[in-house]
Amino acid sequence: MKLWRASVSEAVLLGVLVLTFLVMSQLSPHFLTPQNLLELPRFFAEVGLIALAMTLVILTGGIDLSVGSIVGLSAVVLGALHQGGIPLPLAALAALLVGLGAGLVNGFLVTRVGIPPLITTLATMAVFRGIALGISQGRAFRDYPDYFFFLGQGYVGPFPVQLFLFGALALAFAILLSQTAFGRKVYAIGHNEVAMRFMGHDVDRVKLAVYALSGTLSGLAALVLVSRFSTAKADLGQGFELDAITAVVLGGTSISGGVGGIWGTVLGLLVVGAVRNGMTLAFINADVQQMIIGGVLVASVALYGLMDKLAPMARRGREVGREAS
Amino acid sequence: MKRMWLAGLVFGVVVGLGYWLAVLDWSVAQAQQRTLTIAMIPKVVGIDYFNATRMGAEQAVRELGGIRFIHQGPTEARVDRQIELIENFITARVDVIAVAPNDPVAIAPALQKAQRAGIKVVTYDADANARDVFVNQATFEGIGKALVDEMVKQVGPNAEVAIVTSSLTAPNQNAWIAAMKAYMAQRYPNLKVVDLKPSEEDQQLAFQVTQDLLKAHPTLKGVWALSSVAFPGAAEAVKQAGKCGQVAVVGLSTPKQMRPYVKEGCVKSVVLWNPVDLGYLTIYTAKQLAEKGLKPGDKIVTKRGTWTVEKDKISLQVLLGPPFIFTAENIDKFDF
Repeated sequence: MKLWRASVSEAVLLGVLVLTFLVMSQLSPHFLTPQNLLELPRFFAEVGLIALAMTLVILTGGIDLSVGSIVGLSAVVLGALHQGGIPLPLAALAALLVGLGAGLVNGFLVTRVGIPPLITTLATMAVFRGIALGISQGRAFRDYPDYFFFLGQGYVGPFPVQLFLFGALALAFAILLSQTAFGRKVYAIGHNEVAMRFMGHDVDRVKLAVYALSGTLSGLAALVLVSRFSTAKADLGQGFELDAITAVVLGGTSISGGVGGIWGTVLGLLVVGAVRNGMTLAFINADVQQMIIGGVLVASVALYGLMDKLAPMARRGREVGREAS
Repeated sequence: MKRMWLAGLVFGVVVGLGYWLAVLDWSVAQAQQRTLTIAMIPKVVGIDYFNATRMGAEQAVRELGGIRFIHQGPTEARVDRQIELIENFITARVDVIAVAPNDPVAIAPALQKAQRAGIKVVTYDADANARDVFVNQATFEGIGKALVDEMVKQVGPNAEVAIVTSSLTAPNQNAWIAAMKAYMAQRYPNLKVVDLKPSEEDQQLAFQVTQDLLKAHPTLKGVWALSSVAFPGAAEAVKQAGKCGQVAVVGLSTPKQMRPYVKEGCVKSVVLWNPVDLGYLTIYTAKQLAEKGLKPGDKIVTKRGTWTVEKDKISLQVLLGPPFIFTAENIDKFDF
């Protein structure tokens, strides 16, 4: 199995991406400069990390709306523990574990209690944010040691640290999805969960793992975010769930599961990131940016659907042609 | 597969054309001559208060000429979005960034980065730990005193009162609360603050917490609402509880938002400065800073008056003036 077999949606998206870059470079002379392009990963790394795990969640036919709240919760746990005198590495570990724990709670509610993922994570979205607000009491936690800022503000040569973190994890997730039994099960559950159960696969364990991954990556995103802004607040990560889902769906992953992949998500992130960055550089307001992104999303997904319908017809057409000749 | 790729490209072209149309206006504007570029970043866009500062800024831009004015802000009052805007504006090489920070500390590294890139930094409405000059709308002591005095006028010096603030980390609100408490301790020791509730720049939440306050403290005589969205929320709660006249609501907001409550008599006084003038002065200050530099004692001469630059703890400051109090008599004169 190849690591990347280009799908229809990825081909479309690559076209969109190339054109986005062309248009943005026309819009602002500062877009297509090495400095700016190197800064880009810093803007979408946090949402990007979450979108990687979100891809898996959506592939199983689920959804995780609580990721943004987990970011807030993990950030506040990190800040509060550090302020309380716990050494930063331990506090960071605790923040990751909180993310993992939150993900396990989601997974447990979805698999053992049997609440649909949309409802489960809608509820935990409110609960996790509430806990974060409760712990922080609205305070902002600051004063981290300088080495911590490396994660969010540092560079290796000319490259921001986030580029390596996100790149490595994207590759890891791509391998996980395409080269392992776990990855194949993720797809299969999205295709036909009932069949998987009848075949004796432990569907619940796979799903639990997927939500746990989603929580953990949200915790990791929180670390990057706090490091970038040097401040931990309970409202961090608000709206990340929608940004991440946008990237995943734009990337061609079907919202009903079974179809899609990591590279589509990466392309989706790049398109959204380039549109935001390019249009901000051109001083175009955020509301217009949102409209453009929404438009691209609707148009792309509509086109994926259309082409899925057309593809078999085209094949049939060719076969008919061959028989006739 | 080839066909799919082709279709992908065709689609891309269509999307590209869409982009072009969306930005045609902008490209035309871009073709004009090189001028001073000032990027103004409010705490949040789409609320009356920052529409008013923007209006004042645009008036100043028209008077001065030769300024390319950009006004962009987050759709929620979040500092991370502001930082992202600042980082993009650094790349886009604006000349001046004028920002109303949502968090004075978190935004500082981004502002320092801008300064290192040769961009002048002005703060207005709220301050940051790094900037070239702060256009200060009113001293915290002045506002705190006005809020307390207006409350005492209505409830007397012996009463139980509560505070509905924006967020518990909001620097302006916290400084006002400190100033109010200092002034009360000195002048009105029997004015008791029984509760302090956050409303997070959310009118609905302000409404809720005020309702809760009224229930939890039946002897409450007055509520201070310390933001332009907390004030109407609090006033609405008092009105719906049928306690207009029994529970005084004093606070900071724009006259337009509070006009119905003032007309009904539920609210007697609205404390504020003139945000139109604040935006106006910010642009004059920004232009003078970028073109001539500023030092203590410099005069900023405008068509609306002359202001003096003063030294402060961080760098420089320009003070807009004493707070303004809107009442039933004068509130109709203001349209913001």
